Amino acid sequence: MHFSEDDLREALKRKDPGEGFTQRTMARVNQARVNQARVNQARAEGTAPPATKKVNGKFLAWWTLRPAWTVVVAAVLLLACGIGGYQYSEYRHAEEMRIARAKQQQLQQEAERARDQAIMALEIARAKLNHVLQHAQLQAEPSDKVRRQRL
Amino acid sequence: MNHGTRTLTRILVSFVLCFSALRGSAQDAKLQLANLDKLSAKAARVTDVTLDGSLLQFAVNMIQKIDSEDEDVAQLQSIIKNLKGIYIKSFEFDEASQYSKADVDGIRSQLTSPRWSKIIQSIEKRHNEYDEIYVLKNGDKVGGVVILVAEARELTVVNLVGEVPMDKVASLERHLSPGEKQSGKNKQKKESGHDQE
Repeated sequence: MHFSEDDLREALKRKDPGEGFTQRTMARVNQARVNQARVNQARAEGTAPPATKKVNGKFLAWWTLRPAWTVVVAAVLLLACGIGGYQYSEYRHAEEMRIARAKQQQLQQEAERARDQAIMALEIARAKLNHVLQHAQLQAEPSDKVRRQRL
Repeated sequence: MNHGTRTLTRILVSFVLCFSALRGSAQDAKLQLANLDKLSAKAARVTDVTLDGSLLQFAVNMIQKIDSEDEDVAQLQSIIKNLKGIYIKSFEFDEASQYSKADVDGIRSQLTSPRWSKIIQSIEKRHNEYDEIYVLKNGDKVGGVVILVAEARELTVVNLVGEVPMDKVASLERHLSPGEKQSGKNKQKKESGHDQE
């Protein structure tokens, strides 16, 4: 890439930082001094240094500062999920078993009812068949007697 | 229509005809008894049994499970295993002449020769009793049986579809109440209990 002299001049020329630049700069410098002083004081007193404002936010700060707690929370969450999943699968299994048992019981009852009905039907068939046979036999008997008498 | 298509159509038509004929032979033994339903209102006692398809299969399976050492049960099993349907309509009336001749004729009209043969007829006009047994011949075997008992105060139609061993049905001497057929062992126990009494 080739830069001409005009380009360089344009890039390096003075720019206006805007209003309040000096105040903003001085405020940052003072804040840094105050923070440093607090840290030094805390060190001297043997206490934890005061929390400084981080750009990433409080939650992320807690996350990075307490890894042990993070692992514990993650483990508890995993355990809770695992127990919950197991309980749910057990419930589903029990529910499926209950439905299958109810269906089996219903089928058994239907089959027993059908069996009783079949036995009753055959009993009626037997009774009626014998009834008709008996009637037919009774009707045939007198004619046999007459035939025998003639002989 | 070209020759190939015509041949295919003929094969299909003959296949359908064969299938319907085979199906028809099994269905023919089943009577239409719906015209008797109106008698239910007049009857003092109604027995209506309809057992076919999966329900009959259930019953057959249940009866097959019963202890087969008992002679009655073995006989029952041998009767029911070849049945395809059991249909019974029985009406008992408190008074005579509660059903019409047309009701009975509606059944008789379905029992026409050559398919159906009337093997027994017993008529006693003094008591207005007409008892008939019809058999549907399926080759050498019995494809169905109808027992029609039309008496003054009773009208019963028993329709058994399938191979019916008539001799075995008639010789089911002992009363086959459903409770007694739970198992042969139970029955033996009951009998021994009665003996002790």
